Amino acid sequence: MTMSESGGTYIDNFPAEARVVRSALYSSFLALALGGLFGIIQTLHRTDIYRFIESDMYYTVLTAHGVFLVVTFTIFFLVGVFTWAVTTSLDRGVEDIRFTWLWYGLMTIGTVMAAAAILAGFTDSIDMSADVLFTFYAPLQAHWLFYLGLVVFVVGTWLAGADWFRSWWAWKQENPDERIPLPTFMVLTTMLMWYIATIGIAVSILVFLLPWSLGIIDSVNPTLTRTLFWFWGHPVVYFWLLPAYMMWYVMLPKISGGKLFSDPLARVVFILFLLLSTPVGIHHQYLDPGIAEGFKFIAMTNTMFLLLPSLLTAFTVVASMEHGARQRGGTGYFGWLKALPWRDPVFAGMALAGLMFAAGGFSGMINAGMNINYLVHNTLWVPGHFHLTVGTASALTFMAATYWLLPQLTGKALWNRSVALVQVVLWFLGMTFMSNSMHRAGLLGIPRRTAEPQYQGFEFEAGVGSVAELDFQLALGGALLAISIVLFLANVVGTAFNGRSDDLPANEFAETLSGPEDSPQVLDNLKLWTAIAVVLVILAYSFPLMSIVDRGGLYGPDISPFPVSIETLSLLAFTLEQYTTAAIATTGEFVQTTLTGVIR
Amino acid sequence: MGQAIEKPEEKREIGHDEYNPVGTLALILLYFVLLVFLWFFMYFVEFLGNDPTVVGTVVASGVVG
Amino acid sequence: MKIHTYEKLWLGAAMVLIVALIATITYGAVGLGISMVDDEEETIDPDALDEDDRFNDPRVEHVGENEYEAYVVARTFMYQPDPIEVPANSEVTFYVTSTDVIHSFSVVGTNINTMVIPGEVSSMTAEFDEPGEYGVVCNEYCGSGHHTMEGQLHVVPEDEFDMTELEVEGDDEVAEDDEVTLNVSVENGMLDDLETTIEAEIGEETFEEDVTVEGDSTYETTITVDAADLGEGDHDWSVTVDDYEDSGTVTVVDDLEDDGGDDDE
Repeated sequence: MTMSESGGTYIDNFPAEARVVRSALYSSFLALALGGLFGIIQTLHRTDIYRFIESDMYYTVLTAHGVFLVVTFTIFFLVGVFTWAVTTSLDRGVEDIRFTWLWYGLMTIGTVMAAAAILAGFTDSIDMSADVLFTFYAPLQAHWLFYLGLVVFVVGTWLAGADWFRSWWAWKQENPDERIPLPTFMVLTTMLMWYIATIGIAVSILVFLLPWSLGIIDSVNPTLTRTLFWFWGHPVVYFWLLPAYMMWYVMLPKISGGKLFSDPLARVVFILFLLLSTPVGIHHQYLDPGIAEGFKFIAMTNTMFLLLPSLLTAFTVVASMEHGARQRGGTGYFGWLKALPWRDPVFAGMALAGLMFAAGGFSGMINAGMNINYLVHNTLWVPGHFHLTVGTASALTFMAATYWLLPQLTGKALWNRSVALVQVVLWFLGMTFMSNSMHRAGLLGIPRRTAEPQYQGFEFEAGVGSVAELDFQLALGGALLAISIVLFLANVVGTAFNGRSDDLPANEFAETLSGPEDSPQVLDNLKLWTAIAVVLVILAYSFPLMSIVDRGGLYGPDISPFPVSIETLSLLAFTLEQYTTAAIATTGEFVQTTLTGVIR
Repeated sequence: MGQAIEKPEEKREIGHDEYNPVGTLALILLYFVLLVFLWFFMYFVEFLGNDPTVVGTVVASGVVG
Repeated sequence: MKIHTYEKLWLGAAMVLIVALIATITYGAVGLGISMVDDEEETIDPDALDEDDRFNDPRVEHVGENEYEAYVVARTFMYQPDPIEVPANSEVTFYVTSTDVIHSFSVVGTNINTMVIPGEVSSMTAEFDEPGEYGVVCNEYCGSGHHTMEGQLHVVPEDEFDMTELEVEGDDEVAEDDEVTLNVSVENGMLDDLETTIEAEIGEETFEEDVTVEGDSTYETTITVDAADLGEGDHDWSVTVDDYEDSGTVTVVDDLEDDGGDDDE
């Protein structure tokens, strides 16, 4: 495994890149601060414990909470940590730092535009709002600035990916026979998934919602824009999650005092995410009219198989931790758990995040089930689920990773490790209360996304406990999480104002027990996996999309279909043909290699 | 002491061939059992117990008629 | 490819789990007949619901023995009809559509739950064995008043359920030499015949008529009494059919003030 020869910190080796990564992380934390503030307002308002805003303003708060946390916080952190991962694992700086600042700049401008549209909803003096929540389902309409901001932001992420691919191509010229270093491999596969997934949102906004918000077209087909949203909306959850997975694979084993159990399986896992993340989005639409049950069933089987990479990750990551624990003297079936470095906030944060993800994995299985969706669809169960996944598996891992990264990026020691430990434990406790309450409330039928889940004509009946008890847990959890965010931000600020330290560990990631040499070369064939991923997306989406357009019209029932140019079609057909041929040619080879590998 | 990982005295090297993640296997099988139990509980108690449930018209008329 | 035996074991277990999950759902779909909201219904123009036979008058219809259809319109921020009334021991198919944005139609404490998308009709069939009162909520954000969007679904005991509608038209003022008329119409929305008694009372006079109102039809009758028998002054009248009652007051006057009275078109 290639690693920095100099053995210094990241800022020693890559001072220019450290500035960009730091900026990305600070942008991310600013979003966390705002999103967290809106979060605590919501918990207190929903539960009717303390209401100081009008209920119609709740939806402005909720839009801001969603967009700032699941778009801005997560993705700014992702671009920061991915830049760190690529430069560290290839041991080379970016090709052109001005390009790197360009994509960071685009992402920032996009965020400011969307944020301005959302936050203007708080005042009547500006005639602009975007109270459409994170999902912006038409016919609800936001100000055009919101859609345009999202476009600019996504273009920024596309260029960020291009930046990392450029580094890899340059590195490959100089190292033609080497395997792609694991962190870079993870970054590249994640970005390939992202390129495929963002087609959905790009088409939805550029072809439909943006022209519609500007008054260029009169109507849209709500089922179509909704389906295009989920074309992107499910893979985006892996875009939040995969940076966390990467840290579990490349940092956590090292922090535990061991090595990564299996590099080959880590690669298989990321390939599976590339292949299966996108052709599953229809599982968010199980209860939508206008989509055939067969399409829903196909989306379900794909979704269920998407459990596989996560279940494999659970084994590989825990086995890597166990390796560390045994090297540290741990013994027994379960006794080794005590030998893990629980007092290290980096370890404790990531391990607790992983534990919560195991619970979130279960509620995810329920969400993936087709007919059982009648029970939980759009109830509070669903936010209960994703506060465990993006809200803990990603967020808590990012915060724990920050405690390791920040000193690397600033050359300054972490301000206070004890506060950091308290912070990660508080997050774990807060989320335990909050998600427990949300899951149980969802089973009673209490809806998500509502300012006042208290109704005139009926009451929710709790079989165990009471609605008041669930409200209390929700508010308590929210309060603990808010305190946790304050402590985290205090640590970030405290570290920024610390003096430089000479006593920092080198910028390294985990070594492996079973390295890339144990895996077939075909795993690194990114063209092949991209081709198969594209084919799977076409198989899963072409018929549903055609049927939706056929039923409801491309631009809704009122407007005759917009003509697609012949060039576009033939270009598309040509690209498809290329990909399919490549895919079929090499799948056989891969299946043979892996099968013999697995069987042996 | 900054970031340094605490190093216990008894640190030893365990290589690939001598390492069997038996603790991981034990944990993950417990997780498996838990998942299976909770799945059946959710499907057959929480979901099917939450009736009325949406049924197909053909099946429904069969049951009623 | 080198994979540790334990991890191969886990890989196998994970695959078994995945297949078991899919098998459970398939059992629910095929074995228990739980079907999904799908593309079975034709699309509809959300701006022209008043031209649609089902949704121009949101209502419950009796369509077969113990079979009912409910045509429900969701709009910001209400459901029509509200409450929806159906009998116990029935099979009800809900047809729900929206006139404006995306809503949901979710019957609290049950598995009756669907998205409601403008331009599409969600259809769901469910059986109600027991009487009960359920809340209906919109669980998809639909605008600033989303949290006020609720309705009711009443499943009433079978023997208390009917779809009878009574309507009576009576004169306000009648000359003493004329007749007081009550035009009574009894609508039976059920498919079965309705055997009932129309009882009427005008002042001191009482009437009774046993009638059979055929299924899905309206029975009309006229009750008359000589105004002279009632005498000058105000007289209360009432008509009852089962639990339904309509009432009013008629004034008998000595002479209508001018010629522009009842005979004038």
